[in-house]
Amino acid sequence: MVESHIIEQENFAYIALQEGWQLVICNSGIDAIHWFNKNNNKADLLVIEEGSVPLNGYQTADYIKTELGLMLPVLITVGTVPTQQELRAIAYAEGVIKKPFIKSTTILQINEILERFPERASVQNFSYSLNYLRDIFDGHEESVLESLELFSKSVNTELDQLNVELQDKDYNRIREIAHSIKPSFEMLENETGRSICNRLNSEGVETEMPRLIQDLQLEFASITKQLTRDFPELKIGR
Amino acid sequence: MKKILVIEDNPMVIKSLEFKLTKDGHEVLIAKDGRVAMKFLKEANFDLILTDLMLPFVTGKELISYIKKNSPQTPIIVLSTSTQENIIMDAFNMGVDDFITKPFSPNELSLRVKRFLNKA
Repeated sequence: MVESHIIEQENFAYIALQEGWQLVICNSGIDAIHWFNKNNNKADLLVIEEGSVPLNGYQTADYIKTELGLMLPVLITVGTVPTQQELRAIAYAEGVIKKPFIKSTTILQINEILERFPERASVQNFSYSLNYLRDIFDGHEESVLESLELFSKSVNTELDQLNVELQDKDYNRIREIAHSIKPSFEMLENETGRSICNRLNSEGVETEMPRLIQDLQLEFASITKQLTRDFPELKIGR
Repeated sequence: MKKILVIEDNPMVIKSLEFKLTKDGHEVLIAKDGRVAMKFLKEANFDLILTDLMLPFVTGKELISYIKKNSPQTPIIVLSTSTQENIIMDAFNMGVDDFITKPFSPNELSLRVKRFLNKA
């Protein structure tokens, strides 16, 4: 997804979390194109804002289809839906979603698109990415791997603490822990973990905290399982 | 060599900041909570301080208040997350100089740190 408005980004992330969609957020159309290149074009759908800069949503969709040769469905997000832009959408994209995102219509539209393009829907590893870590550590692989061990150890400890605080009903402490571990999920580019931490930290109401914590633990387990497969030599989950 | 105090409790963020700032040629001290930070601040002077706002034991706001009272010339960059707009505004009102959103872009961090160290 390419979305510059932080509230819309969070709205969409929360819908994705509830629907079980694995979400990757990019800052611009160019970032999205780089992401496709780095990740072997593995995505089922691109949702991009019409006014993205420097390439707008239609130009990005055009580039992805003509230059990268991807049969990837693209949905353009807009503030309003004038007739002329619908014609552009027919040429470059598969549809238009109006903002602010409304849960029911967003789910309906996206599920319709995914059903129309079933050949792309496949099980892919979006549990984590090392792109950010490799960037920040300047390609120093040892530091990247040490960070993965740090992720496993530190987040595991904090998740245990989350359970303790939940039993004690210390919701402020739960918010603090979620705030503290959110960057760990972000550094592995795990949107689901980031989104749950965000919900716990900022908007989550107390009644939904047990479910959110359970979801976070499942997501963490999924990441560490994949890391153990990919890096059996590391001390992951041990 | 410029001396930078990093006050942050996430070990992955600490590791990445330490790597990047040391690579850029700075001396880096790490405080994992507000109490350790207060101890460092009482013992030494720093050219720049990077601090989170939500910290164990002593909050970021208390730390900023202490730094502004005792070492007002030391620039402070807040390490924030994208959902802390109100808290960031409060921090600016207390006199912090800049903020960087976690996880930060390596080049953005280098440039912002360099800008404040050149002023010092």
